[in-house]
Amino acid sequence: MENCKEAATPIATGCYLDNDEKGVKVYKQNIEDSGSLLYLTASRPDIMFSVCLCARYQASPRETHYMAAKRILKYLKGTIDVGLWYLSVVSLNLIGYSHSHLVGCKIDRKSTNGTCPLLGSSLISWHSKKQACVALSTVEAKYIVVGSCCAQSSWIKQQLSV
Amino acid sequence: MDQTTTFGLNLSQIPLMCDNTSAISLTKNHIQHSRTKDIEIRNHFIRDHVSKGDCVIQFVNFENQLTDLFTKPLNKERFNFLRNELGIIDLKNIK
Repeated sequence: MENCKEAATPIATGCYLDNDEKGVKVYKQNIEDSGSLLYLTASRPDIMFSVCLCARYQASPRETHYMAAKRILKYLKGTIDVGLWYLSVVSLNLIGYSHSHLVGCKIDRKSTNGTCPLLGSSLISWHSKKQACVALSTVEAKYIVVGSCCAQSSWIKQQLSV
Repeated sequence: MDQTTTFGLNLSQIPLMCDNTSAISLTKNHIQHSRTKDIEIRNHFIRDHVSKGDCVIQFVNFENQLTDLFTKPLNKERFNFLRNELGIIDLKNIK
């Protein structure tokens, strides 16, 4: 991987991952870095979605999942100097953003949740997760994600008011 | 005196951004209709908080929806735009 090309994004636009049961099985030593990638999401929120997507198939990884994980590494190679930037002089207003992608996972037709509460203009918490239930409409998916954003914001509020 | 008063923080009504007006209406309007009857009760958590005034749901354009980055694969332009907006910045660009 030292001499690989750099990728602009951690995941290809039309990327579709499923269980791929007919694919070539990849043995564990090849993908032992997926745990390290999960660890990296603590300081690099930009790879959060792609890492979480790859992590879903770690029970029985195939060649396609391995390629997706390698793409993240290619992206990281080109963005080694990228990091969270916190300004010292900002207003401290808490704003919660929430979004959901309806039927993000085509296997069980569940949507993907994403929330990020911002304190002023600094990103302090982020989350990308597949919903626990099947949403029948965009409205339902977004209603659920606003609820989870509210829960996270309430927790931050509680932490700040100690 | 707690931290919020020391730093002049006002956390009484937290704005939550949502890009769907129907979902915003659902949080305000406590009526039960056929389209919402399949939503689990625990997901109605938000309604309580909106009625108590803990948070306010506001509309945001799809373009300014920063959380897009955490839900789907994006193209290079959109990805870089959202990455900068979230404050994830390349140290090479900081002078």
